[in-house]
Amino acid sequence: MRVKPGKIALLSIVVLTYLFLYLPILHIGLASFARNSIFPYPPKWTLDTMQRLFASSLYQTALGNSLIIGFASATIATALAGLATIGLMRHAGRRAPLYLALFIAPLFIAEVLLGISSLIFNGLFLGLQGNMVSAVLANVVHCFSYALLIIATQLYRYDWRLDDAAMVFGASPARTFFEVTLPLVWPGLLGAFIVTFIMAFNNLEISFYLLGATPTLPSAAWGALRYGVKPELYALATCVNLVVFLLLGIMFVLMMTGLVTFGHRPERERSAV
Amino acid sequence: MKARLAPALFLGLPTAFLVALFVLPLLSMLVLSVWRTESYHIIREFNLGNYHVLATEGAYMTFLVRSLVMASVVSLICTALAWPIAYAIILYGGRYRLLLTLGFAVPFLTGEVLRIIALQGLLGPIGLLNGVLMALGAAPLRVIMYTNVASAIGLVYLYLPIVVTVIYLSLLNFDQRLIDAAKIFGASPARAFIEVTWPLNLFGTLIGFALCFIPCLSATLAPRFLGGPNGTLYGMAMAQQFGESGTWALGAAMGVVLFAVSVLLVVIVARLVDLRRTGFTGFGRG
Repeated sequence: MRVKPGKIALLSIVVLTYLFLYLPILHIGLASFARNSIFPYPPKWTLDTMQRLFASSLYQTALGNSLIIGFASATIATALAGLATIGLMRHAGRRAPLYLALFIAPLFIAEVLLGISSLIFNGLFLGLQGNMVSAVLANVVHCFSYALLIIATQLYRYDWRLDDAAMVFGASPARTFFEVTLPLVWPGLLGAFIVTFIMAFNNLEISFYLLGATPTLPSAAWGALRYGVKPELYALATCVNLVVFLLLGIMFVLMMTGLVTFGHRPERERSAV
Repeated sequence: MKARLAPALFLGLPTAFLVALFVLPLLSMLVLSVWRTESYHIIREFNLGNYHVLATEGAYMTFLVRSLVMASVVSLICTALAWPIAYAIILYGGRYRLLLTLGFAVPFLTGEVLRIIALQGLLGPIGLLNGVLMALGAAPLRVIMYTNVASAIGLVYLYLPIVVTVIYLSLLNFDQRLIDAAKIFGASPARAFIEVTWPLNLFGTLIGFALCFIPCLSATLAPRFLGGPNGTLYGMAMAQQFGESGTWALGAAMGVVLFAVSVLLVVIVARLVDLRRTGFTGFGRG
């Protein structure tokens, strides 16, 4: 078999980019478990940095706040995006492009603009101090568009005739949703939930402006970063990276098994072309 | 009347939410930008003083031009890198396509601050690159420590994943059989690419470009921690108006400028692309 130069060039670009993306992550991962944290090659293993990180009360409070923001934002964003996707596909009719433009508009606005404009709206026009509810809601705006796209890719393949069939046999809309639609589309919803959770959890630029003095994990890390890079920051980043890898690993497994069992039927994929 | 209730719920609720928490804040930013701040108090009088300051004070124009150049360069690099990557994943990914693309999404999801920390580990004075150079006995590279080059590398690092994902999705929805058809009718691979693949994926490419350009233009973290003294970008200067200097109205005006540039870019993209020619079949059931 002849070796194609084009194939080698393309694949080497992929490999090099992966190295570029993951080397820093690996580097700080090693550094956070090593006594010689500045240049951990070869590493002298220790758990001191991790212990210091977990003992810090600032990071504990921050973790709690970030978890609340992540869960609340992801739940609301997924629910709203689910509604919006069904609305777009079933009820929008000719006005679908208009609604779609509004729904994905937050993608095209930088996070920091969303943060400061919400700050101005809350602080100046509503007279609200920084609080968790505002931060959650502002994060939902940003997460909503991503959730919409993820759910749309799943619902795109969904066969709505199943719903019609259930209704014909006398099921109420609510019962149809819970007994037919939801069991078939939940992988998309879960995927959207996981992704938006991670996004809201790690968000700095929206949460920071709306929270006032309440620390989140990213804002605590940002505060510490202003005074230079410390091994604790490496450890923090490594912990979050590990959790993200784990969550996306679960998601990947679900997507792989989801392809086999949940509502996805390959023949529709081709017929769409 | 039941038929009317469902659209109101399914479309009305998200629309109301976005209008209240997305459109209204942006409008309030617009309103604040024509007020002014005096010693931390906001004076609610119409004037265009903020825009006058932004247009006449050299520093702000420098920041804006530098941001525009930076965002253009970074987006071009990202697009140029993302195309071969996405193409390679589509062509050779096989059953690992999903895993390979998720691999690009993972770093994107870990948050900007943590990724800036990782980048410091790569580029900083005590980072990996300089550590290796010094361990080999060479002099550390100055060009990657607190310079605009470091900012650019950082921004490519931050936004390459989203461009790859968008172009990948575009290529995934592109019917590969069209290339075969072109080749059967005698087109060379290069010609098939230029006349079939590229125009049909132009829309996805431009969306990827925009999704990289817009956050780069308003970048606050990368220039601050990687950029050094000559690296101030517009978004970073804007964030400072809301923090250290407390001049909210001027910051709001800068926000409006960034918003206007973003909207302009999206409008240009929408103008450039004829959706039908890119094979867009509509949003809905296939």
